[in-house]
Amino acid sequence: MLRSLAALLLLTTAAAADTADGQALKAMTWDQIVEEARGGTVNWFMWGGADNINAYVSGYVADRLKSDYDITLNRVPITDAAEIVNLVLTEKEAGVTDAGTVDLIWINGENFRSMKQADLAFCGYTDLFPNNTLVNWDNPAIANDFGVPVDGCEVPWNTVQFAFAHDSATLVDPPRDMAGLLAWIKANPGRFTYPAPPDFTGSVFVRHVFYHAAGGPDALLGPFDQARFDAVAAKTWAILNEIEPFLWREGRTYPTTVTQLNELFANGEVAFTFNYDPAQFGIAVQAGIYPETVRSYGLADGTIGNTNYTLIPFNSPNKAAAMVLQNLLLSGEAQLEKAKAEVWGAAPAIEIGRTSPQVQAGFAAIEAHPSVVPAAELAKAALPELQADWLTAIEAGWTANVGN
Amino acid sequence: MTVARLQLMAGVVLAAALIAPLVPLAIWSFAHGWRFPDLMPRQYSLAAWTFALSAQSGVLSSLWTTFAIAGATTVVAAVIGLPAGRALGLYDFPGKRIVLLLLIAPALVPAIAIAPGLHAVFLHLGLSASWTGVVLAHLIPVIPYMTLILAAAFARFDPVHEDQARSLGARPWQVFRHITLPMIGPSLLIGSLFAFLVSWSQYLLTLVIGGGKVQTLPLTLYSFAAAGRNDITGAIALIYILPGVVVLIFTARRITGRHPSLARGLAP
Repeated sequence: MLRSLAALLLLTTAAAADTADGQALKAMTWDQIVEEARGGTVNWFMWGGADNINAYVSGYVADRLKSDYDITLNRVPITDAAEIVNLVLTEKEAGVTDAGTVDLIWINGENFRSMKQADLAFCGYTDLFPNNTLVNWDNPAIANDFGVPVDGCEVPWNTVQFAFAHDSATLVDPPRDMAGLLAWIKANPGRFTYPAPPDFTGSVFVRHVFYHAAGGPDALLGPFDQARFDAVAAKTWAILNEIEPFLWREGRTYPTTVTQLNELFANGEVAFTFNYDPAQFGIAVQAGIYPETVRSYGLADGTIGNTNYTLIPFNSPNKAAAMVLQNLLLSGEAQLEKAKAEVWGAAPAIEIGRTSPQVQAGFAAIEAHPSVVPAAELAKAALPELQADWLTAIEAGWTANVGN
Repeated sequence: MTVARLQLMAGVVLAAALIAPLVPLAIWSFAHGWRFPDLMPRQYSLAAWTFALSAQSGVLSSLWTTFAIAGATTVVAAVIGLPAGRALGLYDFPGKRIVLLLLIAPALVPAIAIAPGLHAVFLHLGLSASWTGVVLAHLIPVIPYMTLILAAAFARFDPVHEDQARSLGARPWQVFRHITLPMIGPSLLIGSLFAFLVSWSQYLLTLVIGGGKVQTLPLTLYSFAAAGRNDITGAIALIYILPGVVVLIFTARRITGRHPSLARGLAP
């Protein structure tokens, strides 16, 4: 008893082959890196709130990593990637430069900008990946993460595009553009709300209104411009304050997370929910959270799309294993598996045309979940994401002018 | 109405108030969709339990992790709390009030205030992201409970009994085993129970110090609760509650010195 307790107390994470030195890895060939990685472990910190995504990672991905490379995948479920950015930052401040906790993070947007600005990311190694040829780095939506150049500091995993969901049993014909939606909100008091920014999803809804107020995103692209922001922001706050009395609970309060909005939608309190990843609607229907009559759609004036990525922190001690995992995630087979509606329904981050004929046939055979609007249909009217400085300004402005 | 009857009613009401919030959790764990205004779920499913008990979900492995950490924390807290409680309960010494204040402080200061600083210290010591670090971090909120409960026990304790045993030739261990331990036993048990449950319910300290690598059940539970998966949250929550209830049932008799009062009240 005492001995086992002592053993327990002494138990710390045993390090296998240490591959913290990223510069040394960059000088190697891919085969050498795979050899370095063999037998190791990779700690992947990722949002853990969807059981089917968890099952894909802990099942399909972990099994292939084990059988093909003898690497153990330790999936660490988290609620918010920002916590992990802070963790890596604290490690850096404490001088932990080669024995960090995190080997891989699922990340994008403001969190990526924070990591890149603070030099917390391992960069410039993606050319080594055999599957890097499947990535279209000439596509600005891949090469820029919320307007911040990726610069080889992260690897694309999924592409998503914002969509609205409604219950076709109670609302047959939802408004199909932003002007129509704003009119619908005023005509149907109490039936709409959105999560208060800086919630990720609430923030992107407000940006759609911001684009609408600006008459399209073209004038907003590029670096932050205070004068342009002020002009558009004034109009945006006016629109949002005008609809506020017609929102759920007369706009006196807003949901703080998209989870709360989803719950209001599931219980029929509001007529719409929305998400950056339309696959989530299919997942919720499969889990019984939403009725099977839920349908989703984009707006005629377009919805915002983005790419999400995986990133290796600068102080990861298992960089080789993390790289092997990133390369595996990019493979046509792994991207096809997660694109299947019954697995996840996530749109690929690679060019399907560059994959093998079997993989291409697999993608062609995918049947979308009836509740999930096909990515190709959404892509007909796609809007770019703004640079991160715009995002923070819009979020702060909303809090001061609308959510006060 | 007799006193026994009133006691029984009070017991039933108290038990109902404690158990009632758990009923929706249990229903949720078997529900396939449970939406307003339905009084009960339209469909039932074992999917949440199948997932929660599968190896992929990691629930069972985090159950053992949580058990081992709470157990180790309790043992270490008892080893520290026994001499500390004895000193505080039996002796008066200069600065005793300050020692008491410092002891209570961790129970009063919220974990969120100390966690970031603690993380930095533990990083320097190489203790973060390890079981050892998490056990040490849990000791911070646990030791006040253990020490103060034992201090109260020792305040009622008369060391003359130990002197007597020693005068009859008992060795230190024999004195502890046959005199001290039986006399403070119930308090040690209560202290251990508190220690176990306080460690069992830690979220923030485990998250920050464990760096996500020490995956206890509250962490797994919260990631599903935050994502709105009420069915899986319900299943994991019931698994999470179970050990606490089991520990309570097995120790209730020793704490009160009788059977659990409800069971006694129901007996003829």
